[in-house]
Amino acid sequence: MSPVTIGPGQLLLCLLFVAIAGGASLALGLRLERDLLWGTLRTFAQLFLVGYVLDFVFAIDKPLLVLLVFVFMVFWAAHAVRGRVGDSQVAVFAPTFLSMVISYMAITILVTAVVVQVDPWWMPQYFIPLGGMIAGNSMNAISICLERLLTGLRERREGIELALSLGATFREATSDLLADAVRAGMIPSINALMTVGLVSLPGMMTGQILAGVAPVSAVKYQIVVMLMLVASTAIGTVLVAWVVRRRCFTRAHQLIVH
Amino acid sequence: MRIDLQGASLRFGDHEPLFEGVDLTIEGGSFVVIEGASGCGKSSLLRLLNRLQEPTVGRLLVDGSPAGATDVTDLRRRAVLVPQTPVAVPGTVRDNLLWPFSFRANRRHARPTDDLLRHRLDALLLQDVSLDDEARTLSVGQRQRLALLRAVLLEPDILLCDEPTASLDGVARAVIETLLEARCAAGAGVVVVTHQGFTAPATTVGRVRLQRHGLTVTA
Repeated sequence: MSPVTIGPGQLLLCLLFVAIAGGASLALGLRLERDLLWGTLRTFAQLFLVGYVLDFVFAIDKPLLVLLVFVFMVFWAAHAVRGRVGDSQVAVFAPTFLSMVISYMAITILVTAVVVQVDPWWMPQYFIPLGGMIAGNSMNAISICLERLLTGLRERREGIELALSLGATFREATSDLLADAVRAGMIPSINALMTVGLVSLPGMMTGQILAGVAPVSAVKYQIVVMLMLVASTAIGTVLVAWVVRRRCFTRAHQLIVH
Repeated sequence: MRIDLQGASLRFGDHEPLFEGVDLTIEGGSFVVIEGASGCGKSSLLRLLNRLQEPTVGRLLVDGSPAGATDVTDLRRRAVLVPQTPVAVPGTVRDNLLWPFSFRANRRHARPTDDLLRHRLDALLLQDVSLDDEARTLSVGQRQRLALLRAVLLEPDILLCDEPTASLDGVARAVIETLLEARCAAGAGVVVVTHQGFTAPATTVGRVRLQRHGLTVTA
């Protein structure tokens, strides 16, 4: 099976879909036409831009450039986490970004070099999409985990300070809270393991099938990806929660979040 | 053990300072009652003494050396603070009393036996409370005694008590006062902050009043 490529004419034909949505908006007075138009333009612009950048990166084929693209993706994932957590007291960006780069890099290399056995391990065609999926997926997990951690530190302040007053280290005083926060972050990706294939077909697998790959081969890739995402979510949330918790206490084990 | 607070001021953000220029010394065998109006910073002053918080100005000495030289968990293990709100952690009364012994800093202490715990609960008029009761189901007054006992079991050199008798009736209050006096007689330093008076033997007790400009000796 070889994939059917989409030409410019076919792409323009798809604007018909937008026209249908726009028509519905006009007929029902939804006033979504502007957003629809702007969204369509951005979809074209952003995706073509990414496409050309990836073409360029694939063509240059240099490990440093591949890693740079990877770090760039993780940077925006960490940025999104900061935006969602939105805490003014604790600077979460730097520790989040650093922990994400380290843990995602390790997992992605493990997948490309050991599991898929791509040679060289940084081959952009594999490294970038896999790294991107990891960053995108665990971004949600880390946001949930950090929100839970910071809310918990505020809500359970009395209990935490009581533990400190009785001689606990800040780690001892918050071990339950840390476990709760990491658990909350990990539950969605574990739930995804339960429902994959039943409720929805994963985008990557669907994409591979559309590109002409036999379904069972696509399934094998998808399994690798699912397990990889569980691992990266676990390592990412644990590491980020660990580092951010440290930042919520002074060297003298005093809680500074309130 | 000896703790010196020297020239301590505390302010939060851009607010007026709660207090300024507080000098206070606590050592084994001393019993200090700090009185003052609600909101004058009594609780915050206690928090400075075991470094849950740092003073804005001033310093804390532990056995004559700057507090930073002592491991903070060791300081807090030896100078235990019993906060005003009696927090019970999830679990039974026994779980609550043994909880501090799970912290690394307290592991050198022998864990008290059930017999000892029972005996100590009875002494605080908690005969009706079983070691297996859920701690969170106890009344505020019962939890207050539980919280004090949890601290006393660690045999701290200094006990810092925030309103230790606030939720108690006359008899239970007298029991707590006797317990604290006994700790003091056994060589521990005791600090009690209160806004409603604390009747302890006048001979051993130093009474001070916390005001904006520091502590004044009242008796």
